[in-house]
Amino acid sequence: MLTYLARRISQLIVILLGSSFLVFNLEAIAGDPLEELKTSSDPRKAQMIIDLTRKLDLNTPPPIRYFKWLGGIFTGHWGVTRDGQSVVAEISQAIPTTVRLVLAATIIAILVGIAIGVVTALRQYSRFDYAVTFISFLFFSLPIFWVAVLLKQFFSIGFNDWLADPQVTTPWLIFFGLLAGVFWAGVIGGDLKRVLTIGSVAGVSTVAILWALSVTKWFGSPTLGIFFVLGMGAGLALLTTVASTGLGNKPSRNTAIAMVVLGGVLYYPLQALFAFLKTNYNGWIVVGLAFGAIGVGALTGFFFAKEDRKPVMRTGAIVAFLVGLLILLDRVMQEWSPYVNSDFVSNRPIPTLGQSNDELVAQLDSHPNFWMGTLDSLLHIILPTIALTLISFAGYVRYTRGNLLEVLNQDYIRTARAKGLSERTVIMRHAFRNSLIPLTTLMAWDFAGILGGAIITESVFSWVGMGTLFRRAIVAFDLNLLMGVFLITSTLAVLANLASDLLYSALDPRIRVGNGN
Amino acid sequence: MKASRVIRALAIAATGALSLSGLVAPADAATRSTVVVHESNALTSFNGGTPDTNLVTNTDVGYLTGMGFNYYDNKRNLIHNTTFGTYGTVKVSGCVFAVKYTVAKGRVWSDGTPIDGVDLLLSHVLASSKYSKDAGLGDPGNANVNPKFYSGGYGGPYDSHIVGNPTLSSDHMSVTLCYDAFQPDWEIMGPGPAPVHTLEEMGVQHKSALVTSSADRLADKAAFLADFNSQNTAHLTAMGDVWSNDYNITTVNNNTNPLLFVGNGGFLVDSAVSGQSVTLTKNARYNSGPALSGKVNTVIFKFIGDSTAAAQALANKEIDIYSGQPTADGVAALQALKGVKIIGGTSACFEHLDVRIGKSANDGDTAYTGPFAGMTQRAKDLRTAFLLAYPRQEIVDTLVKPVNSNAVVVNSAFLLPGQAGYDASVKGSGVSKFTAGTQTTRAAAALKLIKKYYPKAKAGSNSFTVNLLWGAPSNTRRANEFAIAQYELGQVGINLTNSGGTSGWSGHLDESKYDAQFYAWCPSTVSQTGTNANFQHDGSNNHIGYNSSAMDKILKKLEAFQTPAQLAADYTAADKLLVSDAVTLSIFQHPAVTAYNSALKNVKPAPLTPNTVWNYWEWSY
Repeated sequence: MLTYLARRISQLIVILLGSSFLVFNLEAIAGDPLEELKTSSDPRKAQMIIDLTRKLDLNTPPPIRYFKWLGGIFTGHWGVTRDGQSVVAEISQAIPTTVRLVLAATIIAILVGIAIGVVTALRQYSRFDYAVTFISFLFFSLPIFWVAVLLKQFFSIGFNDWLADPQVTTPWLIFFGLLAGVFWAGVIGGDLKRVLTIGSVAGVSTVAILWALSVTKWFGSPTLGIFFVLGMGAGLALLTTVASTGLGNKPSRNTAIAMVVLGGVLYYPLQALFAFLKTNYNGWIVVGLAFGAIGVGALTGFFFAKEDRKPVMRTGAIVAFLVGLLILLDRVMQEWSPYVNSDFVSNRPIPTLGQSNDELVAQLDSHPNFWMGTLDSLLHIILPTIALTLISFAGYVRYTRGNLLEVLNQDYIRTARAKGLSERTVIMRHAFRNSLIPLTTLMAWDFAGILGGAIITESVFSWVGMGTLFRRAIVAFDLNLLMGVFLITSTLAVLANLASDLLYSALDPRIRVGNGN
Repeated sequence: MKASRVIRALAIAATGALSLSGLVAPADAATRSTVVVHESNALTSFNGGTPDTNLVTNTDVGYLTGMGFNYYDNKRNLIHNTTFGTYGTVKVSGCVFAVKYTVAKGRVWSDGTPIDGVDLLLSHVLASSKYSKDAGLGDPGNANVNPKFYSGGYGGPYDSHIVGNPTLSSDHMSVTLCYDAFQPDWEIMGPGPAPVHTLEEMGVQHKSALVTSSADRLADKAAFLADFNSQNTAHLTAMGDVWSNDYNITTVNNNTNPLLFVGNGGFLVDSAVSGQSVTLTKNARYNSGPALSGKVNTVIFKFIGDSTAAAQALANKEIDIYSGQPTADGVAALQALKGVKIIGGTSACFEHLDVRIGKSANDGDTAYTGPFAGMTQRAKDLRTAFLLAYPRQEIVDTLVKPVNSNAVVVNSAFLLPGQAGYDASVKGSGVSKFTAGTQTTRAAAALKLIKKYYPKAKAGSNSFTVNLLWGAPSNTRRANEFAIAQYELGQVGINLTNSGGTSGWSGHLDESKYDAQFYAWCPSTVSQTGTNANFQHDGSNNHIGYNSSAMDKILKKLEAFQTPAQLAADYTAADKLLVSDAVTLSIFQHPAVTAYNSALKNVKPAPLTPNTVWNYWEWSY
């Protein structure tokens, strides 16, 4: 194992050196950083050329400059950009931005992609399967800048216009009703009668909810309140129990119900804590709350279940976490009305670009309001996240579907069914888990790709992350900056490659790493 | 599943009913008092004066936060800001050419310190290599070490012609500069105010909070004057360090040193988010320039690189002023927006076509032997034919007008349409030779000239080849310009090619293998002598090897004092030479578009920096 690692790592180093040498020299040949200055009619032109040549060391031939640069890398001097900023400073500022932007989208894409993949595999060759495959590939093949333009047009500009008089008109009510009916009927499936029942129940309830929300002008100032939190919490508890243990498991069901009730009991006391957090925000308190919720859920499960405690504890933990999340969301939503009606938002809450509202940032500096800041960040990240998720979840759908179908056809699944295990246990425990193994490769790559940034997405949504730096470096022939970004992304790429190989062997006992003899 | 939906429906209905009672109608949007200005590049520093930070966004922010003796309006006129002070040439014994700058009484910095002549002295430190060397601050001409004040001001005409140090008047309100010769561009070489007491406070005293006592601040200013006069290397080095480095921040909040943001402009920096925006608020003590309209309390510069994204942000009312160089489609999209006005205009750049005559004056590689070489009749005729057949009007009509419907062909190498003297030059230079008739008649005339030397010349005959150098291939407009020109020149038997070298094209400007080149000049000021380097036989921008003693003589005149009438005559004569020698033709000014929230009044885009923000005090809702 150790020799294997050593061999792989030395290979990686050679690859990194070779590729960085190539990229450095190709980019140095490709463009002239002095281009703009040479056509300048400024009287100080000569002095300016001297300054830039000195700064970027342009008199040294590129291959030699590469080794100078490489020496600098090992001593922590990554050079300066054309604009005289330190490359290290630029990159260390860009990485958190990129992670914030891409991490959520990647996780959502993985979760949604796998969930839809599982459903399409279970409903193989159904109309639902075809429809989802079609839609996911449609998004997969759309260029992101176009998706982003459309998203901004409809969900930002259009939605903000609609908010001026937020009424769901009858045609839209019918449209959403039909959509919900068809969707849920497709997901749950069954014979014609069942399909019709489910479809109509889902459709009618959707219409009813939207109608009620529209008539009560809820969209004008959306809040959750304790009733929404409890209602949605109960719904999530139900879903979690079904997927985790099945409704037949009484301790599990009771644990889930207990967690929702507990959420209701703690709702008002928590508001006091949140009021304190508003001005004394400490990220660790929120993280602690999340862990606390998970712990309480697991503990409750432990006491409710007499035997086979693990699944019950799991259910409890998940439900507690979700209910906690709802309560947090509720608190953030309480800021909606003051936020939207403020001078700096002027009733147009969904922005088309940026990381935060500039005036709010200036205001929060002297009047801290953690919850409004959070709402602002969420509203700014929502469109780029949707865009990134839309174009990338198709891969996970297809992989999950294919893997799950392959696993479901294996002998041990038949054996599992034959020995009388419930369908839920067969699919979730025996088939689904094994189908995830090949996906680790994909995930490792995607997580490594996160730091590479989303070049186009960042530029379209005007976020300054790694992708923006990369683009800027290429456009301005900014060699040091380009190499800095390249070094980070290429290192992560080769490490992800190694990590996925190791993970694979850890997860799948049939695979062993070694020297190949 | 069913159960969950029922529960949710019930819960939602109940909540909806409950929240009905507590509903508050959204307040009417308050009267807007914020202007959000779009910038395509992010801010990198609050000091735009170093070679690294002399970028549009940095200088725009600097323009709003600092006011000096003059500024450019939207018609390229230099306007005197008499509210701040006055300046003019004076007779000083023992000095060839002297200019006196007087600050009006009562002007104050945003911290309350009065502005006077001492505040004008820093400009000298930033532009005089001699002072830098004498004071032990380093030689700016040294190619290996940065001077202590890492200023982009060294190396210009001020540096080469200033004599001694500026003289401060006894009341400290005036400063007199002495040059060793008449300076045609003296008006744009002068000093600007800088809050020198804050440099003293930050650099020497290491303060990081505003000094509340006005006596202390005056003492700090006096300390600066003493340091300046005695050339105190230690103190000046410490201040140079602050000036060169401390302003290079992109995040500003309550923890940032407020001394960095003492200014005398209409607005002051309030906060900044790295890579995103800078927020400026009204300067309560502003009295250094035209009065503010009073309707705008906050100006935000928002950095958006992607022009489609900026246009959509305008549609979503996230920004109030958009400026850029969009495509024709982009302009159509902007026109479709409700509540948005758009103004087509030009940027500072103009495209021009040069023909090579000889080896570049500027390290040319080999002697030029192509069809256009030299001043023989044959070379002149072929050059004339080439310029005649070059489809300038067609390029403007198809590529520029869709973006700026007012676009016209530029017909002078020195002046731009609308500038004083342009019309006279066009009339007098004989450029009508290249503009009369239609493309068809001009092509026919060109073909006739070519037939003198290539009798078999006709459309597609490829009688001779012209190797054209032009900008990066990624620029679609330039690629289209080349395609149009290639077709039209083919009609007169000229084979227009581009044998490589477009990548990093500017590095090839001096190479003799190219017979012609087109690219853009982007003058950032109106300067009497700014174009001299293009056509003097040894000019640094004379890439085409044009060597004409008549031209050198005319350009020499521009370096001396000229009345406006003389100036117009000089330019006309120079343009006339360029036409008869068939050396160069301008093509068009790069189109720029400004689109803005129609509720905002007095947005007047200007071609020269600071472009759209030049009249920020007039903005009003």
